[in-house]
Amino acid sequence: MFELFVAQLKWSWIQYKRYAHEIFGGVIALTVTFYGLFLSVGYIAGGTIRFGDRLDSVIVGYILWSLIIFIMNGVNATLQREAQVGTLEQLFISPFNVRKTLLLRAVSDLVFQFVVIGIVLIFIMAITGRWLAFSPVLILPLMTVVLGAYGLAFAIGSLTLIFKTAQQLAGILNFSLLFVLTIPTETWTGLQRYLGYLIPMTTGAGVMRDLMARQSGLDWIALGAAFLNGIVYFAIGMFLFRWSERETKRRGKLGGY
Amino acid sequence: MQVLEVEQLQKTYRSGGKTVEAVKNVSFNIESCEVLAFLGANGAGKTTTIKMIAGLILPDRGVVKIAGRDPHRQSIALKSVGAVLEGNRNVYWRLTPEENLEYFGVLRGLSGYVARQRAKSLLERFELMPKRNTIVQNLSRGMQQKLAIAVALIHEPQLLLLDEPTLGLDVEATQTVKRLVREIASEGRAILLTTHQLDIAEELSDRVAIIKQGEIVAQERTDTLIQQFSGDSYRIELEQELDSDRMSKLSAIDAAIEGKTVYVRQTEWLYQALEILKPLSIIRVEKDQANLVDVFLKLVKR
Repeated sequence: MFELFVAQLKWSWIQYKRYAHEIFGGVIALTVTFYGLFLSVGYIAGGTIRFGDRLDSVIVGYILWSLIIFIMNGVNATLQREAQVGTLEQLFISPFNVRKTLLLRAVSDLVFQFVVIGIVLIFIMAITGRWLAFSPVLILPLMTVVLGAYGLAFAIGSLTLIFKTAQQLAGILNFSLLFVLTIPTETWTGLQRYLGYLIPMTTGAGVMRDLMARQSGLDWIALGAAFLNGIVYFAIGMFLFRWSERETKRRGKLGGY
Repeated sequence: MQVLEVEQLQKTYRSGGKTVEAVKNVSFNIESCEVLAFLGANGAGKTTTIKMIAGLILPDRGVVKIAGRDPHRQSIALKSVGAVLEGNRNVYWRLTPEENLEYFGVLRGLSGYVARQRAKSLLERFELMPKRNTIVQNLSRGMQQKLAIAVALIHEPQLLLLDEPTLGLDVEATQTVKRLVREIASEGRAILLTTHQLDIAEELSDRVAIIKQGEIVAQERTDTLIQQFSGDSYRIELEQELDSDRMSKLSAIDAAIEGKTVYVRQTEWLYQALEILKPLSIIRVEKDQANLVDVFLKLVKR
């Protein structure tokens, strides 16, 4: 398994290195999109969007959003790309189950995407003049959000396997994500608060906002709930993918996109 | 040793309210060192069968065993399979041959070190060493296909599935692939070969299985099958026209004459015909020999 992860890392590194112009384009696109949002944030977000309250939160929210979009589209994009280049079946003819292979591919892609996002963040901070300080403890709620995002990525991937394409759904999800990541569930109380724990990634994003925007300490209960939320969504995604993998094989529809 | 055992495979699809029996009770085995040509018209069920063997399609009924293991239940069985699938590139076009071999080696369960070692020796063997650092999309079609076969062999599988391995290749590349298939089989591997190029199937296969509308209609050793479909007549080509005396003697043994060619219907009359023709100069004596195209057409069209 470790050998496969190293091979996936190398695979991703080669793609990033050899096709650096695509990465460069991605950096420019992400930065320009932010700049557009930055200039017109009041108009776009109105009064409802929470991370519009503080520029720091806007930056963190945007970076988190672009990272999560990358993760959520990862499995879907990999399946589509592999089918197009004619290597999808080869991923399935392996002693490693394909979920493991796709997860390791997604994680290794994420490692390099962190670098890309890091560059975008530096550009954004330079543009806005707001130099953020990041606490290492932020990694914990980030992990919960990433776990939930992988769960959704595999759920979208399962639809791709069954229906061959899930791009429209992925498109809708990308923008509903902006909503999910910004619902202020950490301010909800009573029953609402418990219901908030059920929404994917929201709890983890709330813990991050608490840490960054409100400068409050780490809420361990909320963090525990966020981890539980992430693990449950991750498990649901994996379960759905496993089901659709078997269903696709039963229908004889693997490949041929 | 049986490398592949396929027993009573069955697959039915439902499409647009209709039920299509794609594969019906297909059974065959392949031993090590053996090449089985799996032939059939388009839509006969070849690809569905191959994909069921590779674990890519779940059979409704029946069993596949690769080196004694079921790929649908024991994923480790897939360590014993290498596949080059039709219509697929099977390798990453954005990587070099060496990178492809190393990546797929690990994906098939090798350690990084072993994958690198094997990659080097396969690049040498498949004469791809000078192109090892060239991006695959810049290689010729023949080289890409050689690489796809090399990638399928990186983990030294006992069973190799080759679906149309010579499709779209030029004459030289086809010869190379044919040579490689022979070499790979002689190393002790079992090969399941599908192709529409029946001359290649005839040349490479030890046995043939012909599938028609999902059912196997013939399964035999290639030479035996061809023999079964070959006639018992002979053709004798002469250097000069026959005289009337010889023509009447040949007619008496039911031989047909067309110009300088004599057709003898049975082996027992061949030597009598040769006796009659003595001492005329003979250019060629040839038995009516079918080929796999004749066999295939007779079986598939009937």
